[in-house]
Amino acid sequence: MKRANGLLIYTTLYLAFLYLPVLLLPLFSFNDGTIVAFPIKGWTLDWYRQLGAQDTLLNALGNSLIVGITTALLATSMGLFAARAYVRNRFPGKEASEGLVMLPLVIPGIIVASSMLVLFISIGLKPSLTAVILGHSFLALPFSVSIMKSAFDDFDASLEEAAYDLGSTVLETFRRVTLPVVAPGIVSSFLVTFTVSFDEFVLAFFLSGNEPTLPVYIWSQIRFPAKLPNTLALGSVLLLASVLLLVVAEYFRRRSSSKSA
Amino acid sequence: MSDTPIIDLQNLEKRFGKFTAVSNVSLSLRQGEFFSLLGPSGCGKTTVLRMIAGFQEPSSGQVLIDGQDMSDIPANKRPTNMVFQSYAIFPHLNVGDNVAYGLRGRGIARTEIDQRVSEALDMVELGGLQSRRATELSGGQRQRVALARALVMRPKVLLLDEPLSALDKNLREQMQFEMRHLQQSLGITFVMVTHDQYEAMTMSDRIGVMFNGELVQVDAPNVLYARPRNRAVANFIGGMNFLPADAKEDASGALDVTMPGFGRMRIDQNPNVTARSAQALVGIRPEQLEIAADRPADYDAVAKGTVRDVAFYGENIHYRVLLDGVETPIAASVPNYFHSIDFKPGDAVWLGVQSASVIDLGRDS
Repeated sequence: MKRANGLLIYTTLYLAFLYLPVLLLPLFSFNDGTIVAFPIKGWTLDWYRQLGAQDTLLNALGNSLIVGITTALLATSMGLFAARAYVRNRFPGKEASEGLVMLPLVIPGIIVASSMLVLFISIGLKPSLTAVILGHSFLALPFSVSIMKSAFDDFDASLEEAAYDLGSTVLETFRRVTLPVVAPGIVSSFLVTFTVSFDEFVLAFFLSGNEPTLPVYIWSQIRFPAKLPNTLALGSVLLLASVLLLVVAEYFRRRSSSKSA
Repeated sequence: MSDTPIIDLQNLEKRFGKFTAVSNVSLSLRQGEFFSLLGPSGCGKTTVLRMIAGFQEPSSGQVLIDGQDMSDIPANKRPTNMVFQSYAIFPHLNVGDNVAYGLRGRGIARTEIDQRVSEALDMVELGGLQSRRATELSGGQRQRVALARALVMRPKVLLLDEPLSALDKNLREQMQFEMRHLQQSLGITFVMVTHDQYEAMTMSDRIGVMFNGELVQVDAPNVLYARPRNRAVANFIGGMNFLPADAKEDASGALDVTMPGFGRMRIDQNPNVTARSAQALVGIRPEQLEIAADRPADYDAVAKGTVRDVAFYGENIHYRVLLDGVETPIAASVPNYFHSIDFKPGDAVWLGVQSASVIDLGRDS
């Protein structure tokens, strides 16, 4: 019993340390004052109201959506085909390539960012949203591959054979059986890779040039104390959106594994 | 009914690297036949089925269906359909859409599709369950949907890969009869792969037994049981006692056989004994042996021994008897009549056998 209590205290402290700062963000976004410190001066929604009027912010949001959606599309479609090959086929170099795909998870972001910048400039691709999309797709691929691999793990290979046996062409089989069966996995992968890209800072900072994504924009605003409450409001909105997206993604991931069981 | 075999396999061979999965299989199936490929796992039977379906290409040899060479015809264009071991029911479609899958997208009118789907579901006794979700089906229902989905395509040949192995025992026995009945009423050729000898024997017109990629024997179930070609087949189909024997042909053409424990026996006019080798292996089915407390009269050969084990099987009682001076025990099974004699381990007994019950298995192989 004593040991359990010790664990309880440890857990509470751990969670508080982890999440209290995150909770302070939305708290101060409702504070009627520009200084981020207790006591709270009063409650206001002004910081949220002002968000809609800032063109540079909306511009950055637009950039982030373009980058996020394109990255999610690229990474998810590559992940879909790669995962199917990994689960279904045996080929030389399979283990090596599976390891290689997962590599971005462990390489420090700063290394990836600086080497990509050097690479892109040397092949004539200037820092731009295109460069960010390529970089983010690289970072997001391990997520989409592992989500799609678990979708294909639960997918009985004879379903595709059955469709082919019933007269479907290879393409028809893909469209009428493979895609619908792994659809929850695709949705889940799309949402997760979108979130990975949307929250990413280091690569975007190096590669975005004069087209900042939202995290890069926020970073640039933090230097101006007067803008800080706005940034807090924006951060709170993003926090809520990210959590919602991940919950939805998890729902689809679970649905995909329970469905074919 | 034409004379062209519905399926004609010609010297079919399949190699995976250095491993030969199927070697030199030739086989002709008649239209409307229920044929089973029987063998232990890894014997190549599923590979043969998948080569007929078109999922695997033969390394050499040919598959002809209804006289037509299938070499350049992919699985989706062949007049065959398959019931998969896992049933492969599409989880995102309901029962009706599963059965209609193969009919859609090829210019068949909707009303006709609906008509054919409902006929197929009636056939497998799932009438009216069109809108049931695939995930809500029991094992037996999934099997019926898989059957309906294949049969609705009106294939020339229906291929079944271990169709009953996922079902529990009672359901399996019921489905054996139902599938046999369905096959006979439709007149479609069924080719089934199974490792279960009883399943193969109860359902099939003919059985092909495979070992190590080779088709060893093709016969009707009763012939296969009475005249297995060699020890491997005899061992796989039913129980069998194997006895090394010395055989001599006498002047009248009859055979003089000496078996351990049983001594000498004259075998005359037994169609199951043809090979006249001096050193032979003979087989005797356990149920063909008489077991008695006293020396049985009217048997061609008798042996004296001691009961070692008794196993009660319900309809039968199985004894293992050690014959005097013989190391390997002999199995004997007797029907469990209500007045049947009941021996216990250690009891002295006599075994009796008729010459007609002796099966020649050639040389010990």
